[in-house]
Amino acid sequence: MATIKILESSDSHVKLLLKGIDRVYANALRRFAISEVPCMAVDEIVIHENSSVLYDEILAHRLGLIPLTTDLEGYILPEDCSCKTSLGCTKCRVLLVLDAVATDEVKTIYSGDLVSEDTRVKPHLDNIPIVKLAPTQKIKLEAYAKLGKGRNHAKWQPATVSTLTDTDNASEFHLTIESNGSLPAKEILLQATNILNTKLKNMTETIKESA
Amino acid sequence: MSSVPNENWAIIENMIKKEGIASHHLNSYNEFLDHGIQDIIDEVGGIDVETTGTPYRVSFGKIFIGEPRSVELDGSTSRILPLETRLRDLAYSAPIHLEMTVEENGIARETQKHHIGDIPIMIRSAKCETSKMAEKQMIEKGEDPLDPGGYFIVNGSERIIVGLEDLSPNKIIVEKDKVGGNIVHRSKIYSSIVGYRAKLELTLKADGAIMVKLPSSPVDLPIVTLIRALGIENDREIASLISNQNQVHNLLEITFEKAVLDRDTHCNVCKVCGLRILEKAKDQTQEEFDKENPDYENCGHDEVCGKLGDCSHKALMYIGNRVAHGMLDEFRIRKAESILDWGLLPHLGKERENRYDKAIFIGEAVCKLLELRMNWINQDDKDHYGNKIVKFAGPMIADLFRTAFRNLIRDMKYQLERTSHRKGSNIVGASIRPGIITDKLANAVATGNWGRGKVGVTQLLDRTNYLSLLSHLRRIQSPLSRTQPNFEARDLHSTHYGRICPSETPEGANCGLVKNIALSSVISVSSSFEDIIDKLTQIGIVPSRDISMEDRSRFCKIFVDGRLIGYTKDENKLVTSFRNMRRQGQIHSHASINLQKYPNKNASTRIHVSLSSGRVLRPLIVVSNGQPLVNHDVVSRTQNGELSWQDLIHMGVVDLLDANEEENALVAIDGTTEFSNEHTHVELFSSSILGAAASLIPYAEHNQSPRNTYQSAMSKQSLGFPTPNYNYNTTVREHLLVYPQNQLVKTRATSLLNIDKRPTGQNCVVAVMSYEGYNIEDAIVMNKSSVQRGLARSFFYRLYDAEAKQYLGGMKDNFEIPKSDENTRGYRGEKYYRLLESDGIIMHESVVSGGDVIIGRTSPPRFMEEYKAFDMTGPYRRDTSIAVRPSEFGVVDSVFMTQNEDGEKLYKIRVRDMRIPEIGDKFASRHGQKGIVGLLVNQEDMPYTESGIVPDIIINPHAFPSRMTVGQFIESIGGKAASFRGTPVDGSTFAGENADDLGNKLKEYGFESSGSEIMYDGKTGKKLKVEIFIGIVYYQKLHHMVADKMHARARGQVQMLTKQPTEGRARGGGLRFGEMERDCLIAYGASMVLKDRLLDESDKTNVNVCDHCGLLAYYDGQQRKYTCKIDGEDAQISSVTIAYAFKLLLQEMMSLNIAPRLLLEDKV
Repeated sequence: MATIKILESSDSHVKLLLKGIDRVYANALRRFAISEVPCMAVDEIVIHENSSVLYDEILAHRLGLIPLTTDLEGYILPEDCSCKTSLGCTKCRVLLVLDAVATDEVKTIYSGDLVSEDTRVKPHLDNIPIVKLAPTQKIKLEAYAKLGKGRNHAKWQPATVSTLTDTDNASEFHLTIESNGSLPAKEILLQATNILNTKLKNMTETIKESA
Repeated sequence: MSSVPNENWAIIENMIKKEGIASHHLNSYNEFLDHGIQDIIDEVGGIDVETTGTPYRVSFGKIFIGEPRSVELDGSTSRILPLETRLRDLAYSAPIHLEMTVEENGIARETQKHHIGDIPIMIRSAKCETSKMAEKQMIEKGEDPLDPGGYFIVNGSERIIVGLEDLSPNKIIVEKDKVGGNIVHRSKIYSSIVGYRAKLELTLKADGAIMVKLPSSPVDLPIVTLIRALGIENDREIASLISNQNQVHNLLEITFEKAVLDRDTHCNVCKVCGLRILEKAKDQTQEEFDKENPDYENCGHDEVCGKLGDCSHKALMYIGNRVAHGMLDEFRIRKAESILDWGLLPHLGKERENRYDKAIFIGEAVCKLLELRMNWINQDDKDHYGNKIVKFAGPMIADLFRTAFRNLIRDMKYQLERTSHRKGSNIVGASIRPGIITDKLANAVATGNWGRGKVGVTQLLDRTNYLSLLSHLRRIQSPLSRTQPNFEARDLHSTHYGRICPSETPEGANCGLVKNIALSSVISVSSSFEDIIDKLTQIGIVPSRDISMEDRSRFCKIFVDGRLIGYTKDENKLVTSFRNMRRQGQIHSHASINLQKYPNKNASTRIHVSLSSGRVLRPLIVVSNGQPLVNHDVVSRTQNGELSWQDLIHMGVVDLLDANEEENALVAIDGTTEFSNEHTHVELFSSSILGAAASLIPYAEHNQSPRNTYQSAMSKQSLGFPTPNYNYNTTVREHLLVYPQNQLVKTRATSLLNIDKRPTGQNCVVAVMSYEGYNIEDAIVMNKSSVQRGLARSFFYRLYDAEAKQYLGGMKDNFEIPKSDENTRGYRGEKYYRLLESDGIIMHESVVSGGDVIIGRTSPPRFMEEYKAFDMTGPYRRDTSIAVRPSEFGVVDSVFMTQNEDGEKLYKIRVRDMRIPEIGDKFASRHGQKGIVGLLVNQEDMPYTESGIVPDIIINPHAFPSRMTVGQFIESIGGKAASFRGTPVDGSTFAGENADDLGNKLKEYGFESSGSEIMYDGKTGKKLKVEIFIGIVYYQKLHHMVADKMHARARGQVQMLTKQPTEGRARGGGLRFGEMERDCLIAYGASMVLKDRLLDESDKTNVNVCDHCGLLAYYDGQQRKYTCKIDGEDAQISSVTIAYAFKLLLQEMMSLNIAPRLLLEDKV
C-alpha cells in the first residue's frame, strides 16, 4: 500500500518519504516541480529610461530572475488567456514599476524597489540587488510579470532543488523540494501532482478516443 | 634560522606591486628620455654650415621633452590623456625642443630653443600625465588605474614594442664552425653604442691565418695589418697584446707572415727587438736611403732597423687601397682612418686616442680565439642568457630617433647652406622641419617598420582580457628566423630558470622563439661606467696600460662591458670585494660581476663586469656561512610594508644576479636545504619562475607539461573584464563577460596580477561523466537553465568609424542620409537607411542587423573631368555609407562624435551583441582542456546529487587519461572545499594547499574525500551505477563562437574577374569544392555531380567559336550577326559551353601570341 510521510516541512522546503509508489510517478513529480509548475516572473519590460551602466538586456535579464510571489488562483497562463495580446491583460499579467534615481551618491536598487500593482505578486525577497546607480543616473521602467513554465525558461522554475533519492529500503524514496519563494514548497508539490493527474487523464482520454 | 619558503612570496609581491608589471618597458623608455636621447644629440654635436661667406656653426645644447599634447587645426595646443588620444585617433606624443647656439669663429652668438619634432610618449612613463595621478584622479578622468602602461598610442591605436632578444653587445663570442669540412674558428663582436651597432668578425682560417672582416670593407684583412694600422708597429708588442703564451705565439706566426707577404705592408722585423727592418732598394744609394729615412737607426742586432710610424702608415694605406681604391693617397688614408675611428668597435670611442684601446680589444679577441683553437676554453654558448640582452622600447626608439635626427640635420644643413647669406636664430628656426622626426617616429611605431628590413617591431596591444594584456607586455621575441629550425635556440636553457617562463610559448612556427619573462625576472638598467672604474680602482687593479709583460699572462683580465680595463693578481678577492660593495649599496644593484675560470691552466682567467641595460636578472636570497640572510623577521617586515624589496637589496640580503654571475653561484632550491659553506644563494620563491599566464594555473605542477603550455596560450583568448572604462573604449573588436567571477581556487599570482579585479571566467559545477554521447571528443554538455540564469553570457562589441574627409578643391564628405532623387551612385535603397536620424547618424540603442546603414555619408565624385567631357547627368555624389557587417547583429551601444587631428568630423559607433552560450561555443578549464558545447540540457534532465546539486557542465572522462591534467582534479576538489569553507583555496604551483588536506576538508563537510558523489539520472530518477566525480572548476569562455563562424550559401556573389563564387564568410562566399573532393567524385564516376559542382554551379559560360579556325568569335550587335575576325561574317559559328576561367585562359594565351584553337565536333 502506498503511503506518504512528511519528514520535514516549511514554506521553503518539504521532504517526503514515499513508500510503495513507483519511481516513475515520483520522478515525474520531481521533474514537474522544476519544469511544469507555473510561477510568476517578469517577462516583458518597457524601459522608459535607463541611464545606468547596465544595458537594457542585462537589466531585463536580472529582473526576470527575481522570484515573485505567485497567486495561481488569480492569474492564468498567457497561452490560456483569451486576451491574446503581447503585453497581456489583467487576467494574465501583473505590472511592476521601477522608478529610481540616484541623486548625490551611489545608490543600489533592490528588488524591494519594484512596486507591484497587485500586492499578492511581488518580489519574494526585498534585498536582491538589481543595479547600482551612480549619481544622476536614473531608471524608469514597467515590468510585466506573467505566469510561465520552467521548461521555457529557468526564471519560471519554482523549485530550486528537486530531488528523488533512494533510501536503504528499495521500495522507499525521499522526495525533496525546495522553493525559490514564488510558491510554498508544499504548493509546488500539490501543483505537480495536479499536473500529473491532468496529464494522465488527458492521456487516458486520448487513448480512449483513438481506440 | 632558515625562512619558510612560502613566506618569501611577500618579497616577489612587493617587487611587482612596487615596480608594476610593465616596469621593464617603462624603465627602458625613461632611460632613453633621461639620457639616451641627449647622447644621440651630443654625438652629432652641431652643424657646420659651409658657406661662401663666413662659415658658421650651429651647436646643440640640452634637449627638452614637453608634455603630451594635441595640436588642433588652428595651431592651438591642449594637454591630452590617453583616453582622448584613443577616442580621437590622435598620437600620444610630446614636443622635443633642442637648444641651438649659433657660433661664429667659435664665439657663441645666440641660443634659442627650437621645436624639432614630436616623440611618442609611452603610457605611464615618466612623461605621461597619468604617471603623476593618484588613483582617484585617474578614475575621474576615465583612465583605468590598473592599466600597466608600457605601450604607445599612434593614430588612436595601441602599439607595443615587444622585447627583442639580442646577442650581448661588446662581448667577444668565440665559436667553432664547419665550412666545407674544415673547422673554422670565429670570434664575433657586436659593438654598439646608442642607436648604432657594428659587427666585427675575426676568423681563424683553415690555413691558420687570422683574418678580420670590417663593417665597411669588402675584403678581409690580416689581423696584424689592422693592429698595425691602429698604431702598434712593434711585432713583439702586437704578439704580447694577444698573449704571452708560447703556444699562442706559434699559432700567430702564419698570421704575421700573411701580413708580411703583401707588398704594400712589407715589413721585415728584427727578431730581437721587434723594430721594423728597412731595406735599401736595389738602385738606391746609401745617401739616397739616408735622406729618405732620416730617423732610422741601427738596433745593433745585426740588422738595420727603422723608427716607428712607417709601418702603421703602410698598414693604413693597405686598408685605404681596399676601401677607396683608385683615389688620391691622402683620401685613401683619410678613409682608412675614418673606418678605424668610426666603423671599428665604436663602443670604445671615435677618437684617435681610442685606437690603442681598440688594439688591446682586438688583441684579446684574438687571444680568446686562439685559446679556443688550442681547446683550452670552450666555445661560447649563444643560447646562454648571459650572452643575451633584451631590448625594449628605449634602445628601439633610440635606433629610430638617431636616423630621424640625422635626416633632420642633413635637411637643416642643406637649408642653411642654401640661405647662407642670412644668419641667426630665426634662420635656424626656419630651417627646421619638425615633420621629419615626427613622421618617422609615428610611422614606425604605427606600422612596426623599423627600416633596414626590420618589420613587425610593434604589435597591436592584445586587449582580449587583462591577462592577455599583461602577457603581451612581458613577451620577448627572438630575431631568429621562424622558417629555419634553430633547434637549440628554441630549447629551454638552464639559464632561463627564474628569467623566462618554461611553459608560456606558442606552438608551431614561433615555438621557443617567442618567450615570456618570468614573474621573478628583473630587466637591468644601465649604470655608470666611470663609477665602476673608480670602485674597481679602489679595490685595486693594474690598469691595462701599466701592466708588465709577464703579469699580462699571469694575471686575471678584467673587462667592464667588454672593455679590457685592467688586471688583477687575486681575482677571488676582487670579485668578493665587488659583491660586498654592491651589497652595501656602493655599486649599482644591477651591475654584475662574473669570474670565468677554466680547468685548463693555460687559459686566461677573466672577470666580466656588466653594466648594460637589458640583461635579465633574478633576485636570490644571499646565503652567508651556510645561513640565508632573509629570515622570518625580514619577511614579516616586508609583508607589513616596513621594508620594500629595494631595502632588502640595499641591506645586502637579496642579490640580483644575471645569468653570468649565476655561473659563480651555488643556489639552494629552498630554505629546507641543508646549507653548506659552498652555498651562496637560495631561491626566493619556487613558483615565481613562471610567467604571467602560467602562474595563474592552479596546481600546474600536477599537470603534464605541454598542458600548461596550451593553457598559457588559451587563457589569452578567454573573455573577461578587460578594463573598467569599456564604455569609452574604441577597440575594433572587444568582448566583455557579463558576470565574471573570482577564482575559488586561485594562485598567489591571481591577486598580484590583479586578476581578482579583472577576472576571466566563472566557477562552474563540473561533473565528469558521459551524457548521451553528447560530450564525446572534447565536447561539453551544459545545463540550459544555468545558461538562462546568465552563465557565460558575454557581449561582443564592434566598432565602426567614419570621417568626413576634405578634398582638394574644397569638396568634402557629408554626413547625411543619401537621397534617391539625387542620383547618388551606389544608393542602397530606402530601407537600409531607415534607422538614420536627420544628421545621417544612427540613434544609440537602435537594433541593427547585417546591411543596415549606421553612418550615412556621401562623397564627391572621384574624377571631375570625366563628367565634364560627357556632361550627361552632371557630377553626382557617391554613397560611402558605413553599414553593419553582413552576418552580424546588435544594438547600437554608443555613438562618439569628435574631431580628428586634421579637424575633420569623426564618428565612432559601437555596436554590441549579447552572446548567450549555444551549441558550438568554445570553453576551457585552466588546464588546457578545451571543448565546445555539444548539447544544452534542461535542468530536470541533468543528473543530480543527493543534495540536489545539478552540474553546470558535464565533461567526458576520456579527457583525462592520456592528457594527465591531474591539476584539474585537484582544482575540482579544491573548488568544492573552498565553496563550503567560504575562503578561496591557494593552488599556487609548488606552494599550494595540500591535495590531501582538501580531501579531508571535504570529509568534514560530509563529502567523500575523493570528490566523488552518488548521482541520479535526471530522466529516470534512477541512481547512477557509479559514483561521479563532481566539483567546482573555473571555466573560461573563449572568443571562438559559432555566431562568428557559421556560414552557408546556396546562391550569392561571384568574383568580377573569374565569375566564380567569392571566398570567405564576410563576402557571403561559397564553400570550396576542393581538389580532394573532386578526386572522390572522379573515383566514384559521378560525372554529372562533378559537372554540376565545377561548371554549372560555378563559372559556366557560353562562348561563340568559329568552326573553321577554332578561335573565339563574337556577336556583332549592330549588324546582328555572328562574326569571326579571321573567317569573316559568313563563318560557321557554334556556341560552346566552357568555364569562364577557361575563356580567360584562351584570351591570355592569345595576348602572348599563342593561338589556342578549339576543334569542334558535333554532339552525337
